[in-house]
Amino acid sequence: MSLYEIDQLAVEIAGKRLVQNVSLTVEAGQCTAIIGGSGSGKSLTCLTPFGLSPGIASGAMILDGIDLASADHQQLRNARSRLTGFVFQQPQTALTPHLTVGSQLQEAAMQAGSPRPSRKELALMLERVGLTRADERLDQFPHRLSGGERQRVMIAAAIAHHPKLLIADEPTSALDASLRAEIMDLLDELRAEHQLGMLLVSHDLASVEGHADQLVVMAKGRLVEKGATRTIITRPAKDYTRRLIAATPRLDEAPPKLGQPGEPLLETVDVGVEFPRPGWRSGKIRAVVNADIMIRQGESLALVGGSGSGKSTLGRAIAGIGPVTSGEIRWQGAPLPGRRQRNLAMRQLIQPVFQDPVASLDPQWRVEDIVSEPLRNLRPGLIAVDRSEMARQAMLEVDLTEDFLSRSPASLSGGQAQRVAIARAVIAAPQLLVLDEATSALDPLVGAEILDLLLRLQADNGLSLLFITHDVAAARRICHRIAVMEEGRIVESGAMQAVIEHPKHPATQRLVAAS
Amino acid sequence: MLKRHLPLALVLLIAALALLLPFFLPWSYDQIDWDAVRAPAFSEPHIFGTDDIGRDRLARLAAGTRITLLVAMAAALVSLVVGIAWGATAGWIGGKVDELMMRIVDGLYALPFMFIVILLMVVFGRSILLVFVGIGLVEWLTMARVVRGQVMALKQRPFILAAEAAGTPSTTIVLRHILPNIAGVALAYLMLTVPQVVMVESFLSFLGLGVQEPLTSLGILVKEGADDMDMAPLGLLLPGGLLVLILVCLTIEGERLRDRFS
Repeated sequence: MSLYEIDQLAVEIAGKRLVQNVSLTVEAGQCTAIIGGSGSGKSLTCLTPFGLSPGIASGAMILDGIDLASADHQQLRNARSRLTGFVFQQPQTALTPHLTVGSQLQEAAMQAGSPRPSRKELALMLERVGLTRADERLDQFPHRLSGGERQRVMIAAAIAHHPKLLIADEPTSALDASLRAEIMDLLDELRAEHQLGMLLVSHDLASVEGHADQLVVMAKGRLVEKGATRTIITRPAKDYTRRLIAATPRLDEAPPKLGQPGEPLLETVDVGVEFPRPGWRSGKIRAVVNADIMIRQGESLALVGGSGSGKSTLGRAIAGIGPVTSGEIRWQGAPLPGRRQRNLAMRQLIQPVFQDPVASLDPQWRVEDIVSEPLRNLRPGLIAVDRSEMARQAMLEVDLTEDFLSRSPASLSGGQAQRVAIARAVIAAPQLLVLDEATSALDPLVGAEILDLLLRLQADNGLSLLFITHDVAAARRICHRIAVMEEGRIVESGAMQAVIEHPKHPATQRLVAAS
Repeated sequence: MLKRHLPLALVLLIAALALLLPFFLPWSYDQIDWDAVRAPAFSEPHIFGTDDIGRDRLARLAAGTRITLLVAMAAALVSLVVGIAWGATAGWIGGKVDELMMRIVDGLYALPFMFIVILLMVVFGRSILLVFVGIGLVEWLTMARVVRGQVMALKQRPFILAAEAAGTPSTTIVLRHILPNIAGVALAYLMLTVPQVVMVESFLSFLGLGVQEPLTSLGILVKEGADDMDMAPLGLLLPGGLLVLILVCLTIEGERLRDRFS
C-alpha cells in the first residue's frame, strides 16, 4: 500500500471546480512531483486535503490508512501534525519574526506530543540540515538569516516531529539558482535517511528532474500525464508535456543559431554604484564595483549572478534609471551622462523590460496609452493617428491582436503583460534592450515564447540585448556572450559556450551546476 | 448595494434633510416663537418642541447639521489638497527635501492643536472661515504622511522606471502615473478625515470657540442641550444622537474604503 494516495480528487472554491480528476500516489522514501503552470491547480491539489486552502476537496485521500475526506476535525489535525511536514515557498514569511529559531524548532518538534527536546537535540537538527554554528543560531531571530538559511530552518522544523510525508510547495522558487540545487540535494538526503515520502510542487521541470521518482503533469486543474520521471521526460505521451519539456531550457540542448554581431555599441568603463546605508548607519553599500562590460550591435550579452550580486543595479545604471557613482558608460565611444542628464535622443537608444510584468504596467492606464507612452516623449512630432497606428504595429510585432489595445493591464495574463511591456520597449526603435529577469516570473511555456520573441526581434531589427538573469540555461538560448557577477564585481566573462563548458570562477561553477 | 452602503445612504439622507428642511418649515433657526417658549416635544406646531428662548428645535437641528457637514467637507478638502501636494512632493523628490518637509510635519504634529486654534481665534476673532482654516491646517498632516508613503512605494515600481526610460518628464510622471494611483487611498483617508473634523468642530463649538450665535452647529446644540438637560433631555439627545450617527456611519464607510485600497 502506498504511503499517501489521492484518487479522483476534485477541489471547489465558491462553487467553481478548480481541480478535478486528479489521482496520484506517494511511496515511502520516494518523491512525487507535481509540475504545472500558474493556475494549474497544483498547489490546491496538495494543500486542500489537509484543510490548508480555502477549497473544499472531494474524492479519496488516504494518508497512512486514514481517509482524510471522511476524517473529523481531530483526525485531520492529527494527520497534519503527526504524519505530515510542510515546506512553503516564501522562507521570509513562513517563520514567525518575533520568535527565535530555537523556540520555533522546539514548537515544531513538540507539535506531535513528543517531550520537550534538549538544546543539544535542537542544535543537532540544525546541523542535520547543513547549518553551521548551529548552537549560536538557536538564539537568532529569523531576520538574521539569509533566504537559503531560513529555508533550511523551515525544513528542519518540517521534519522535527518525524513525519512520514513531507509536502513541499515550491520550496526553491524564491531562492537563487545555486541555492536551489543545494536545497534539493538536502531534501533528497533527508528523504533517504528517514524513509520520508515527499510530495513536491513546482512550476519548473528542470528543478525537479533528477530528484523526483514520479512525475505528475497538471494543466488547468486537470491531470495531463503521470508516470516515472525518466519515462515522461524521454518519452512524453501528451502534447502538453512535450511542449513543456521543449520549453524548459537545458544546458545540453543544441546551441541556438544566433546572428553575427557588429561594431561595439555600449561599453561600461570601471562603473561603480554605491548606496548610502539605510537608516542612521554610516558608510556605503557598494552594489557594483568597477564593472567593465561591452555589447556589440546585434549582440546579446547575458549578465548572470545570484540575488544581491548587483546585476540589476548595473542594468539600471545602463538604462539610465539608476544611479552611477563612478566610472563611465559609453555609447559608440561617446560618454552617456547619468540619470538626470540624459536627453531624449539618448533615452531612445536604450529601453528596459522588467521582471514583474504586471507591476511594469500602470494599472490605471489602457494598453494603448501604455504602449505609445515612449512615442509621446521621444517622437513629439507624431500626431495621434500615427501614434495609434504605430501602437497597432508594435502589438502585431509582439504577437498580440489589436483588440488588446483597449484593454486594461489587470485583464492581461503574465505572458500578455510581458508582451505589452516589450511592445512599449521596442516602439520607439531603440538599439539596446535591458531585460531585467524578463522571463523569470513567467511559466516555462510562456517564458520560452518570450525568449523566441526576443530572438526574432533581434533578427528582424538588429537589436542588442542585455539579458540579466540567474538562469544560465535560459540565457544560453539567446545570448552570444556571458558575464558573471558576484558581490558587485564581474568575475568572469567570455563566449557563452566556452564559459559553460569550462567555468573558472567558483560563482560561475555554482551557477552552471545549478542549471 | 443599498444594504451594503447603508451608512453612506444614512449620511446622505441626513445631509439632504438638513439642506431641504428650511424650505418646508415655517420657522427659521433664529426665529423666536413668543407663544411657545419651552414647548414640549410633539406639540403643534413644533414637532420637537422649542428651546429655552422659543426657537424651533427641528429648524436649529437642520441648521446645525448643515454647518457641521459644511465645515467638515471644506476642512477635509483643504487637508486633501495640502496633504497630497506636500506628501507627493516630499515622497517624489526624496532625500534632504523629504527629510526637511517631513520634520516640519512632525513639528506641527507636536504642537498642541487646541492652543493654536485658540490663538488664531484670539488674534483674528471668531469666524467660520477661521474654523475651516484652523481645522484643515491640522488635518492635512496625516494625509501628507499617508501620501508620502504611497508615493515612495510607487516610485520604485517598474512602470514608473519604464516611464522615466521612455523620457516622460518628472511632472508628467507625478501627475499622470503617481496621482491616479494614490487617488483610491487618498479618497479613503478623506472619508476618514471627515468624521474627525466633525468631531473637532463640535468640540470647538462645545467650548464656545466655533461658529457664532445665532448660527449654530451640532456641537453648540449639544452644549445648549447639556446646560438644560434636566428640564428638556430632548435638547441634548437629538443633536447628540445625530452627531454619533454621522460619526459612526462615516467612519464605517471610510474604513471600508481604506481596507479596499490598502
